[in-house]
Amino acid sequence: MEAVVTWIAETLVRALALGTPLLWAALGEVYAERSGVVNLGVEGMMILGAFAAFAVAQTFGRPEVGLLAAAGVGGLAALLHAFVAVTLRANQYVSGLALTMLGLGLSALLGRRWEGLPLLNTLPEVSGVTFGGVLLAVLLWFVLYHTAWGVALRSAGEAPAAVDAVGINVALVRYLAVVLGGMLAGVGGGFLSVAYRPSWTEGMTAGLGWIAIAIAIFAAWDPLRAVAGAVLFGGLFHLSFRLQTWIPPEPLQLMPFAVTILVLAAAGRGGARRWGGAPEALGLPYSRGEP
Amino acid sequence: MRILRACLALILVLAFAAGGAAQAKLKVGFIYVGPIGDYGWTHAHDQARRIVEQKLPVQTMYVESVPEAQVQPFIEKLIQQGARVVFTTSFGFMDGTLEMAKRYPTIIFGHASGFKRHHNMFTYMADFYQVYYLNGLMAGALTRSHKIGYVGAFPIPEVKRHIDAFALGVRAVNPRATVHVRWIFSWFDPAKAKEATEALIAEGADVFAFTEDSPTVIQVAARRNLLSFSHYSPMQRFAPRHVISGQLVHWETIYLDFLAKVLSGRYNAENLADVDYWWLLAEKAVELGGEFGVPINPIFVDRLKAARVQTREFGRISVYDLVNRRLAQMSAKPVKWDPFTGPIRDRNGVLRVPAGKVMTVAELTTMEWAAPGVVGPWPKEPK
Repeated sequence: MEAVVTWIAETLVRALALGTPLLWAALGEVYAERSGVVNLGVEGMMILGAFAAFAVAQTFGRPEVGLLAAAGVGGLAALLHAFVAVTLRANQYVSGLALTMLGLGLSALLGRRWEGLPLLNTLPEVSGVTFGGVLLAVLLWFVLYHTAWGVALRSAGEAPAAVDAVGINVALVRYLAVVLGGMLAGVGGGFLSVAYRPSWTEGMTAGLGWIAIAIAIFAAWDPLRAVAGAVLFGGLFHLSFRLQTWIPPEPLQLMPFAVTILVLAAAGRGGARRWGGAPEALGLPYSRGEP
Repeated sequence: MRILRACLALILVLAFAAGGAAQAKLKVGFIYVGPIGDYGWTHAHDQARRIVEQKLPVQTMYVESVPEAQVQPFIEKLIQQGARVVFTTSFGFMDGTLEMAKRYPTIIFGHASGFKRHHNMFTYMADFYQVYYLNGLMAGALTRSHKIGYVGAFPIPEVKRHIDAFALGVRAVNPRATVHVRWIFSWFDPAKAKEATEALIAEGADVFAFTEDSPTVIQVAARRNLLSFSHYSPMQRFAPRHVISGQLVHWETIYLDFLAKVLSGRYNAENLADVDYWWLLAEKAVELGGEFGVPINPIFVDRLKAARVQTREFGRISVYDLVNRRLAQMSAKPVKWDPFTGPIRDRNGVLRVPAGKVMTVAELTTMEWAAPGVVGPWPKEPK
């Protein structure tokens, strides 16, 4: 019995540790996509955040300041995407992919000198950032569903023409959502380099950005479900190594992905989602006068 | 128009600069599978390339992060830029390199870690299994829980050979100890390496070794005050009080030797069909340690001297002396001892190396069995 409790406690700690960066990035993507903008640049924004956080934390000895820098850098990167996607009305998928490549390349180039340096002050893995992420999810959920801002944000993603008709600036709403999304992804990446690892290695996000996007989608663009998705994935990812003693490793590799998707999809059938499917105008540039 | 003219001038200047400098020098191209900042395999090859350029009258070029299936156009490009010797540094480049060797019979090719050769294509490898055995001796002496963790990249012969050599070392000084293996199916994935290490910690492992191109395992272990061995690059600096030793590579020894022979005319594009560098400790292609020139972290020397074991060959001896004796034997030319000397049974009791026999290179590069003491999944384990 005691062993079972220990197992559950250990797995929960791991779930929260890996769930934290995934949650922050997924929350950002939820907001961006709710406003109607797909951002496939999460991986790029996270790795830029990871590099910025490490460089600043290493220089000034303050990991919290590193996370702030990560938010700033992530927000700047997202601003680039917002400009291309909202103002230039270019293909959002291409722009996002370009941002991912830019982020990976730029961080690798700038990061060469930081490779292999130790970090004296680090944050604990399960820390204020973890609980802050959960609180943030509740806050974002509340804003999304219970405030006028939330209505404007959701409407920008569902029916931008209607939002425009009542005098709200669709472009501004989308800019804000995308930049906020980038800041949160930056913090998620920064958490990796100042708390989870903690060190800087080129390409260290290794695909976590894509998992965050998947969590945002399979959580049906709901901040609270994103918490469940991120923590569930974190725990299952850890278990996929723990269970290798009993289960062959090849199928176990797929387990966290398969189970997370199944659970979130099954929960989505419960009817809690207020809108059917994805935001109607997701991925579509808005311009006045076009349907 | 002015911009165009400026560009043209720039191109001309660059072309002359490149042409003038290269006239007398042999051009050597390198194709890497990963980024040169990976702190592992590709980083080590690139360090070697820099040394080669300093020590020999050659000019080098490289391309990094080349996908394994797309090696041919990159080789083509290097040849167009004047490369007369091309090294491809990943197992997956093997068939593409052979294809190009046939198409360009006057260019010299070198392929790392493979087994296909041609009259103008040789193979080379710097292997760690002897060093892993020495690491295993130290791990067996320093573990308190008698559980040692190993985070493995892929369950392929190369990694299995290293884990087996490590486990043979562990068991040579500590017959009770077990080596617990977790596979992450990736050469580079810090998150997987981290969670695999956490899983092993939860199961009680207190000393760690690994195959992955980042220092993640070392850092995760050190945070819990647990010990580890560095892998591939000098990683002792990531946890100076917790890294015991490790494996380091000197690819430059192979590159320097081969290119010197090309420059002297001994090797050319006609006579490479039987040239295979399988270089180990004796050739100084690999080194014991977590930092160059530091075979064992000094803070562990006392504990290793205090740990004493009974051996058939040397009688009662400290693990510290045993490591040094074995290191000396394997560094000698000809080599005086090998970790894979029979009799060796696998973990299921099947005799794999008969008494008095030493495994051949061909056997080592295809081995799939698990050594006694290895615990955990072992895909493709022979019955």
